[in-house]
Amino acid sequence: MADRKKEKLQESGRSAICARPSTFAQYKTLLMKDLKQEFRTKDMIVSMGIYAVLVIVVFGVALSFAKPGSEFLEVSGGLLWSLVVFTSLLGLNRSFSHEMENGCMEGMLLAPLDRGAVFLAKMTSNVVFLLIVEVVAVPLYWLFFSSYATPADTAWMMIIPLLVGTVGIAGIGTLLSTITTRTRGKDVLLALLFVPVIFPLLYACVSATTAVLIGGDVVADTLMVSLVLAVGYDVIMILASWILYEFVVSA
Amino acid sequence: MGKSKGASPKLPEVGQWPDKIAPAVAIAGIVLTTLGFLMAFFYVPPVAGAAVDGVELIGGMMVANKLLISQKIFYFHMPVAMVSFVALAFSCYYGVRFLMTREWRYDTCSAIAIEIALVFVVATMATGEMWTRFEWGVWWTWEPRLTTYLVLMLIVIAYFVLRSAVDEPERRGVFCSVIAIIATIDVPICFAITRLIPSSIHPVVLREGGMSGEMGMCVALVAAGMFCIGFALYRARFGQVRLAQRVEAMKESLED
Amino acid sequence: MNPILAEIYSTVIPSAPYVIAAYALIWIILLVYVVIIMRGNQKAQKQMMLLEEQLAELKAGK
Repeated sequence: MADRKKEKLQESGRSAICARPSTFAQYKTLLMKDLKQEFRTKDMIVSMGIYAVLVIVVFGVALSFAKPGSEFLEVSGGLLWSLVVFTSLLGLNRSFSHEMENGCMEGMLLAPLDRGAVFLAKMTSNVVFLLIVEVVAVPLYWLFFSSYATPADTAWMMIIPLLVGTVGIAGIGTLLSTITTRTRGKDVLLALLFVPVIFPLLYACVSATTAVLIGGDVVADTLMVSLVLAVGYDVIMILASWILYEFVVSA
Repeated sequence: MGKSKGASPKLPEVGQWPDKIAPAVAIAGIVLTTLGFLMAFFYVPPVAGAAVDGVELIGGMMVANKLLISQKIFYFHMPVAMVSFVALAFSCYYGVRFLMTREWRYDTCSAIAIEIALVFVVATMATGEMWTRFEWGVWWTWEPRLTTYLVLMLIVIAYFVLRSAVDEPERRGVFCSVIAIIATIDVPICFAITRLIPSSIHPVVLREGGMSGEMGMCVALVAAGMFCIGFALYRARFGQVRLAQRVEAMKESLED
Repeated sequence: MNPILAEIYSTVIPSAPYVIAAYALIWIILLVYVVIIMRGNQKAQKQMMLLEEQLAELKAGK
């Protein structure tokens, strides 16, 4: 509203000064910038996808002498999430290296942008990239390991914990990767901070995914509690990151 | 600890009122923990374990269970854990103060508070490990409280790695304050999540009853002592770090 | 000792090393921290002395 009024005032005064774009417009511009930049080269998504396949290969080797049967369902949720965590670590590391390269970050900070919009845009682009990789990696994961066990009929509900988890990972990951890109030893430091901070979310998501995969009575018991807790984590952590982002990005 | 509200906030500094009471508090802490130690072993009756077939009269009481001495660890384990969490909360508080005022002193305070938290977390883990090893026969199990403390310890360690990985002091202060705040938010969530999710897959070993009045008193006594010790350690470390900072500042001004 | 009493006290001896270790570890950890503080203090004091000497030299030079 205030912006509109200003706009009108400026129009009536025939001022040459442009009105400040709304926060949503800023958000949209920043998000489109990230997406365009990525889809032009696709190097982040491609490297994340290949990395995911490599992690699956490592899992294949790890399981090759176990030949698990139906008990595979109990570990598969956890394995799937470790795949997601490793892949997203790679992606989060890369997501800010573009910004640091050509002094892009400084330019962005010089513009009178809402810092919250910067955070939300970066988080959304991270969510988008992670989801694209997951869309490829999760079916691949099942393709490679389908010989071990068949998941229950409720397995499609895995989408819900995956979504909730991805949003949380992107939210806190954006804050942490902004911090660690400007330190010595960026990659290692991101992993050091990211894994313990994400731990509760990971625990809840693994529990929800495993429940869905096993099916039966466990679904009703575990799924709801796990999802509610995971969503709670998301809300609290994203709020905290959103508030703290202003300090981090301008430091 | 040395906070005062007003138009011009007084920064925590060596020689303020907390330092005046610190020696007395340290002595009080040692006395209280010693009393708690004696109380734990000689006053509070041992907790009953598995039943035995038969009854025996010990000290005018009929006893029909195994008496557990390993539970005595609890009287120091829990207070130490409480201190570690309170220290973490103080670190978060000073982190917020630093972000609001950009005063270096608060960054120093935050770092020292989290250092105290690390010391007490390590002590918590050590005592917890001893108990776990004896009672459950394993060195590690993914039990909610153990997990929470492992995560807490890892975050605090990561905090110090981060601290040493940033060169510009301004940036270091901001980043470290943010991580201190995130850690303080994360730990209760971690505890809630590991506790509330029903582990249909891994059964949680639960072996605890409520605390009797005597046990509660003993824990409270030791907790009071441990808080005093934590406070005294904080002030001692604060004095030392401030001295080192002053030496550094003097060096710089001499070189000019 | 009668067997029932023996069973009642059966966990006392095996658990003793762990209980003692737990209590000892707390104090060792706290003591290590105190030692770190004291060493830092000594280092700062030494540097302070050096600085004072340097300051005295500077003053004498002038």
